[in-house]
Amino acid sequence: MGILDKNLSLRNRNKMVVGVWEDEDSLVAATSELVHNGVKIHDIYTPYPVHGLDRIIGVRRSKLARVAFFCAMTGFTLVTTMIWYMYVHDWPMNIGNKPVRFTPSWAPVMFEGTVLCTAFGMAFFFFWRNRLVHGIKNELLDDRQTDDRSVIAVEITESADQNSILGTMKKHNPVELKEFHNGVNTTIK
Amino acid sequence: MIHDSIIRDRLVTGDKTAADVTRDIARPILNKPSTSWKIGFTLSVVFLGIFVASLFYTLWTGIGVWNINKSVMWGWDITNFVFWVGIGHAGTLISAVLLLFRQKWRMSINRSAEAMTIFAVICAAMFPVFHMGRVWVGYWALPLPNGFGSLWVNFNSPLLWDVFAISTYFSVSLLFWYIGLIPDIATIRDKVKGKTEKALYGFFSMGWTGSTRTWARYELVSLILAGLSTPLVLSVHTIVSTDFATSVVPGWHTTIFPPYFVAGAIFSGFGMVATLLVVARKVMNYENYITIGHLDAMTKIIMVTGSIVGIAYLTEFFIAWYSGVEYEQYAFTNRAFGPYWWAYWSMMSCNLIAPQVFWFRWARTTPWFIFIMSIVVNVGMWFERFVIIVTSLHRDYLPSSWVMYAGSLTEIGLFLGTFGIFFTCFFLFAKYLPVINMAEVKSILRNRE
Repeated sequence: MGILDKNLSLRNRNKMVVGVWEDEDSLVAATSELVHNGVKIHDIYTPYPVHGLDRIIGVRRSKLARVAFFCAMTGFTLVTTMIWYMYVHDWPMNIGNKPVRFTPSWAPVMFEGTVLCTAFGMAFFFFWRNRLVHGIKNELLDDRQTDDRSVIAVEITESADQNSILGTMKKHNPVELKEFHNGVNTTIK
Repeated sequence: MIHDSIIRDRLVTGDKTAADVTRDIARPILNKPSTSWKIGFTLSVVFLGIFVASLFYTLWTGIGVWNINKSVMWGWDITNFVFWVGIGHAGTLISAVLLLFRQKWRMSINRSAEAMTIFAVICAAMFPVFHMGRVWVGYWALPLPNGFGSLWVNFNSPLLWDVFAISTYFSVSLLFWYIGLIPDIATIRDKVKGKTEKALYGFFSMGWTGSTRTWARYELVSLILAGLSTPLVLSVHTIVSTDFATSVVPGWHTTIFPPYFVAGAIFSGFGMVATLLVVARKVMNYENYITIGHLDAMTKIIMVTGSIVGIAYLTEFFIAWYSGVEYEQYAFTNRAFGPYWWAYWSMMSCNLIAPQVFWFRWARTTPWFIFIMSIVVNVGMWFERFVIIVTSLHRDYLPSSWVMYAGSLTEIGLFLGTFGIFFTCFFLFAKYLPVINMAEVKSILRNRE
């Protein structure tokens, strides 16, 4: 598995059925019923985090915590090696006859270096995994999905029954139903 | 199971919808600047000009234009450094520590508090950098090979720890702030009309779409960054305190400094957050988002941290007496009853006595009074650093080196000028970025448990 989550791109996809909601409860109910009916939801777009939606549509728990731990260990090793090289190996300095070997006085710099590497390393992998790049073209299914509307997108494959999906969505009072294909939105309801 | 809470007060009042939140908070960005913004920004730029002029005079003539001398070698500059670094601490506390404790009231105030952190650290960094005198060799503070001019740096020195601590704190705070801003920048991107604005907000929104997959990972990243920032914020002011505590100067050489500095930093930081937000909620019509409940919570923290700082002041006095060391005893008697008694008692009045008024509900819920008290807290915390630094240095073991110290006009100009830097940055932030975290506030509109 590559680091980049390819599900996040809407390019080169089959036709999609798109339902738009303003009410959070209806959105969650529609999602649950679609999943219960065996429909594979491509993604849901919301203007704010709706807790639990990711579990309902089967998004696996992120491994970013492990990445953070890996970055922390890398940072710790790099900074400790740096201090040892500069302070013990390359040019030992006698200041007030204090020892140059490993001492607790190394701890602040080791700690700060570890935090720095962890934060930036994890952020780098977060951006990469989530296709967050400066200047990338944003692919929106609804103009207000970053404002006050939530969007359920279902990709129509051979096994998916479009009418049944639309019927389930309609039961939960969407404000709009659309089809999305090749970058073009067509309103159904 | 999710329930609408019937016990807790609403965190956002006025029955707002998600669309209302976007409209209210994005209003200053989408419309032309208001008259109050223009007046405030112009005033800030005037103070920024004072900073530039004072700095130019310092660099052109030399560090001798400051009144520091061989006894009081740290004066207004390091006082101001510690003052600004302290102010920065509330931002990380609100965004990180309160996030870990699941305190949802932080959501309306974390964005501006984080911005305040970044601007305050920029102001703080000015003082040690220019105190070096030969600022053009300032890079010697970094661990660069001997061939670059200096020797390798001294890893036993708290001043070097400061270099690492402040730069890490600034970078990680900036990252935390930016990651928090991405969803809101995307909202603005989809609202602005102009081509240039769309391109700029588009560039910084990094193609954000609000996918559930991204939100799930985003929340995890925020949580881990909060977990990292919490010990970081404690480490930074601990390290700043070791600049003093690892020395052998009476009045500085005490183990109480790290917790006392951290509590003081949170105290002063919340003072500045209160100053900014009491004004912002009125001028920008954000009373439904930054409610009296928010002010109440902030003032309680001010009262608790002020009391912790007050206990630290009294403990220092007790330990000086109990230690039996006459130099320590003299240092503290001199602080309270020596020539700088006015600074000491200003500090005690502003930091220990004044915040006790927040035991009364009226004081915690009256915005104009909170504004005045927040200024009192800031003045008190500046005096705290002045007292620690100047009164400990002006009389040392050798009476022949005893001197008095007062900041020169240039030093005063630099200090006032940093308010220019701070508020210029803050006004630009308030004009071009959402002051309140729209995405997070939308998630608490329903007051759910």
